Amino acid sequence: MIRKAVLLFLAAAFGLGLMVACGAVSPATSFAPTHPQELGPGRPMCSTCHEEGAALEGAAKPYTAFNHTAQFVKDHRFLAGRDSNVCAACHAQAFCADCHSGKTMMAPDVKLGNRPDRDMPHRGDYLTLHRFDAKADPTSCFKCHGRADNDKCILCHK
Amino acid sequence: MKQRTGVVLLATFVSVGAWGQDVSAFSTTMVQVRKQDTPGFPTATLAPATEFLGIDASGLGIDALTLHLYGWGYKDLADASMPRGKSGGDLSYAYLEYRFGKANAQLKAGRFSISQGGGVEQVDGVSGRTDLKGGFNLSAFAGAPVHYRTAQDSEQSNYNRAQDIIFGSRLGLRLGPVGELGVSYLQEGSKAPKDLSSPPVDYTRKQVGTDLRLAPAARLELNGHTLFNVASQYQAPGSPALDASKVAEHDYTASYRFSPTVALNGNYTERNLEAYYAGTNLPNLFRLDEKDKHKAMGGSLLLSGFGATDVTVDFRHIKRDSYGNSNRFGFDLRWAVPEAKVRAGGGLHKVNASDALVAGPASPSFYGLSRSEARAWVMVDRGKVSCSLDGIFYHFDDAANPNLNGKASMSQLVGSVGIHPTENLAVSGDLSCGTNALYQNETSVLLRTTYRFTVASKGGSK
Repeated sequence: MIRKAVLLFLAAAFGLGLMVACGAVSPATSFAPTHPQELGPGRPMCSTCHEEGAALEGAAKPYTAFNHTAQFVKDHRFLAGRDSNVCAACHAQAFCADCHSGKTMMAPDVKLGNRPDRDMPHRGDYLTLHRFDAKADPTSCFKCHGRADNDKCILCHK
Repeated sequence: MKQRTGVVLLATFVSVGAWGQDVSAFSTTMVQVRKQDTPGFPTATLAPATEFLGIDASGLGIDALTLHLYGWGYKDLADASMPRGKSGGDLSYAYLEYRFGKANAQLKAGRFSISQGGGVEQVDGVSGRTDLKGGFNLSAFAGAPVHYRTAQDSEQSNYNRAQDIIFGSRLGLRLGPVGELGVSYLQEGSKAPKDLSSPPVDYTRKQVGTDLRLAPAARLELNGHTLFNVASQYQAPGSPALDASKVAEHDYTASYRFSPTVALNGNYTERNLEAYYAGTNLPNLFRLDEKDKHKAMGGSLLLSGFGATDVTVDFRHIKRDSYGNSNRFGFDLRWAVPEAKVRAGGGLHKVNASDALVAGPASPSFYGLSRSEARAWVMVDRGKVSCSLDGIFYHFDDAANPNLNGKASMSQLVGSVGIHPTENLAVSGDLSCGTNALYQNETSVLLRTTYRFTVASKGGSK
């Protein structure tokens, strides 16, 4: 009953919102769904080709914000949460799924053992090491294992 | 999703893919053989064969309509490698996407992952986003959450029923080059289960988030978000009033670029475990009655442009109320020579951590968690042939740590050799050997075949 009410509410809100929003939608042209040129291997620096300080239309952020520095790789969660369609211009969803597939039996570092250049979680014997890291920071486990991919967790954590 | 529904959906999506004008199908098949010899457990030979399969197709009758599908399955060729049987698989995502020509608007339907505000979710449902006038943008999703197993099978049905729906939305405001602000809401579940053995608990998950990106100067940028848990909390009868914060997480990063080759980054994270863990499906591990607090701050200095070398010097301090402090510091190097098609990297780190209390004994005793870490890797890719070597080494300060089984160090070396007979076919083999606390010696062999079939009319491949 509650579910039906929630769905009805959502449908009504969506319909009403659609009518209002149609007049409020930005007239700007969407940016290209695919990067128009093939990129070389390695981490790309957008500002190598795109003018330093120039803004990526559609994201309203400078190209430098998307430079794939070591820090960008660590902090990509912020941009992925706001501009996932910018990521999608170069990365297929499967690239994200290498680490974020939600449920997989193969650790990412084993799957991509031939790619040591990619930052992968849990390289080495992390089964032993997680007992150390989880003492200091159990929240670091939660992002990936708090809601998903925990078939292995329950072997010991019953 | 029921298995039969999944099969029907999979068949539909695969056949829809065949209509596409631009189709990219990619497959990775892996067979791994590993001998597992753990003291106290029977010796096992593990040989899982795993297949990852994906399809991206566009031009499905309508130019802006695309299909994306990805899943995996495995079959054990020897002993069971997973706790729930000798075979298994999962559909990671399978969705249709329509991208509008204006406003960066898009619609998705099917199974997809969504990262919105602070939440990263896997959903069977629909989602949409669009830019609005005045710098605003709006995104929303709704559907059924993709369920995972709970710790207790007996409670699975209760868990599923409680979390029957998930929906969320984010409203953002872009302030031109100065930054972006956002506010988001996420809810999972519409009702609390009534037949759990424990007293009725509001298992619905309600989360409000705020996020920001500020760039007051061209070289300065602040990114981050704060999440609030706004669901009512369970309170055991007779227990003292809850004093836990509604703030689940603060997560912020600031960076300043002194020049194109020098950048300084700082980050701060604070998490209140009770609020942060709300919504877990592993409550016996991520305990909802935790009153613990975790704070971390750190920074890194990135130096690039020294020829072909990038250097990152980093430091991170973690404080957990119920445990103590931990400091990790060190550096990483990355070296790339595109002309020679060689890339290499490595790093050295030291972790100085408070000792941990041994649970159980009447008289308290402690063991150390401090360690040193070293890693070095090299990759050569010369078109038809590629190879790589990756070595990792840990040394622990306290060999008496009961988790180490008397081993003061761990190491692992992974070597890989691959050939690319054609542009779309690659075959590689990995040999991994090492020694660690769990397995006296561990050796594994992995054979990997990657195949990509692409019919593309324009643009770069992804």
